[in-house]
Amino acid sequence: MKIALCASFLPFINGGGRFIVEWLERKLVENGHEVERIYLPFVEDFRDMFAQMVAYRLIDLTESCDRLIAFRPPSYMLRHPCKILWFIHHFRFYYDLWNTEYRPVPDSVAGRAIRDMVFAADNVTLREARHIFTNSRTVSDRLRQFNGIDSEVLYPPLQDPERFRSDGYGDEIVCISRIEHHKRQHLLIEALSHTKAPVKLRICGDSIPPPTYSDELKALVGRLGLDGRVVFEQRWISEEEKIELLATALAVAYVPFDEDSYGYPSLEGSHAHKAILTTTDSGGVTELVVDSVNGYVCAPQPQALGEAMDRLFLDRSRASAMGRAAYQRVLDLGITWENVVQKLLA
Amino acid sequence: MKVLVLNSMVPFLKGGAEALAYHLVQKLNDTRGVHAELVRIPFKWEPAERLIDEILICRSMRLYGTDMMIGLKFPAYLVPHNRKRLWLLHQFRQAYDLWDTGQSNIPNTSRGREIRHAIIEADNRCFPDCDKIFATRLVAKRLQHYNGFDAEIMMAPLNDPELFVGGDYGSYVFCGGRINAAKRQHLLVEAMRFTRNNVKLVVAGPPDTPSDAARLQDLVERYNLNDRVYLDLGFLTREWIAKYVNEALACAYLPVDEDSVGYVTMEAFSAAKAILTVSDAGGLLDIVHDGDTGLVVQPDPQSLATAINRLANDRNTTIEMGKEGRMRWNSMNVTWPATIERLLA
Repeated sequence: MKIALCASFLPFINGGGRFIVEWLERKLVENGHEVERIYLPFVEDFRDMFAQMVAYRLIDLTESCDRLIAFRPPSYMLRHPCKILWFIHHFRFYYDLWNTEYRPVPDSVAGRAIRDMVFAADNVTLREARHIFTNSRTVSDRLRQFNGIDSEVLYPPLQDPERFRSDGYGDEIVCISRIEHHKRQHLLIEALSHTKAPVKLRICGDSIPPPTYSDELKALVGRLGLDGRVVFEQRWISEEEKIELLATALAVAYVPFDEDSYGYPSLEGSHAHKAILTTTDSGGVTELVVDSVNGYVCAPQPQALGEAMDRLFLDRSRASAMGRAAYQRVLDLGITWENVVQKLLA
Repeated sequence: MKVLVLNSMVPFLKGGAEALAYHLVQKLNDTRGVHAELVRIPFKWEPAERLIDEILICRSMRLYGTDMMIGLKFPAYLVPHNRKRLWLLHQFRQAYDLWDTGQSNIPNTSRGREIRHAIIEADNRCFPDCDKIFATRLVAKRLQHYNGFDAEIMMAPLNDPELFVGGDYGSYVFCGGRINAAKRQHLLVEAMRFTRNNVKLVVAGPPDTPSDAARLQDLVERYNLNDRVYLDLGFLTREWIAKYVNEALACAYLPVDEDSVGYVTMEAFSAAKAILTVSDAGGLLDIVHDGDTGLVVQPDPQSLATAINRLANDRNTTIEMGKEGRMRWNSMNVTWPATIERLLA
């Protein structure tokens, strides 16, 4: 089958929005399909946002492929008789973030008119899709709530999940993710100061400049006297390195604030048979983690997280059982490429 | 510096322009302090009415976080940017020279003329916003003729010159590249009927269609040339092609009025091999002169046969012409580092 994958993108910026497209591309090719990946620029500025949407709308791929799979907005504005969506988020500033500081236009007659136009364009073009899949329950809920559209959750797998492994359960809780304030690595450092057991913490990952938050984290480690127990590295961690770090980890931690999806760090931990430490307000992560089954879902407070860290350290057999349950949970949810390819091409 | 390269694309089709765009981005990324990415915008020109939409699509696009844009093909180069350069691989020729020669897909009706005018107008509004325009000599000539804009002459370099280092001069003339009627490999095969026995012909490359392959095979059979013409048809590795070039007596390339010098010519000169070509080959006649860096003859089997005999009989002259070709080519400094430097200067 000839399949076009179409997504808007930000030049020079890598991230989850590209991984989902490029990993799928590879799997489709492995399954014998011809794939054309089309990344189109888009600038989310209300002054010329609609002209760009028209540009997307005018692009004609109807005769050049058997199926169009669209991802990031507004790529689903392209027309195709067999249009499938793997919808990963809305123009959030006009949807769930409208009543926050992120709102891009004033909540005035004019501002609301712009918002209405975004809704109108979405409502027409989303409904043309033969089927809409989302990457999380959160995103599916929003589609229902804001657009009155039903969708099916199709969890995105990791690129090569079988590469992850477990070599046992050491002393270290590992958090590999972008170092950013809303990922709340500070909460983990503060939690460590509440532990009674000699559990250790490793925080690593890349960050977007400026390094303000990184500097704060470093200072926090010093202030709390945790130098010997926290390894902090602000840099890109390769897949190979990640696999090794997770193989000997006691558990993984991922405590973002209200994320849409379960996040690749939780998935990586699951494939390495590690329990996941997260918080009740982490959003999509709680779709994956069931408290005391495949990890701990704690109140977003240092005290509660510290207690969970102690429990993981002191009861290794429990930690390893939860780790195995984490792997099973991924299979139960159908987070496999086999499932994804079958659903998207059905 | 963040450099975005913009090219047009037809989904699922890959040719020379795609390879060039890919290498350009790669070489830009090899340059200190440069981060480059490629954007490929789908392009469809049938029916002709689509062309208006295509112009609108590109003019409505916006770029984010980009310090410099390099546009390659119509209509992708119409995307606005305040620091834009063009490496003009193609305008939409159906609105220009192919219109004049009656080979355009745009109908010569009042609506067709409006569409053509819209294309020219879009181009004419784009070019003044570019701080530099680079093009091959022929594309530059058209740009001057039809739009009145000047371009700096720039040729696409070889992507792997390290493979084409030359070697012993064998007893065969080599003809590489894609195989189709417009590249006229069949003329060479027919010419072999009239050549002496001390010279062979090797034709190697991917046929565009099965009938392009069959045509050559039939000629070899019909004229009983099996022992003197070797056809190696299909996709070949670059290393394999380089071996053919490096050990050849000379190389042949007979395209019909091509825009550019062509990779086959660059590979041959890089390996110090003389080029056999024809008087209507186009761009490569800029650097291949008869009796100097190769032979230029009429595009018919008899003339080609005479030339092949000359190459085989006077080997010393053939080798000298090859060496002259290499010197000429090297002095033009058409390399990726030089190209990147000019593009970013």
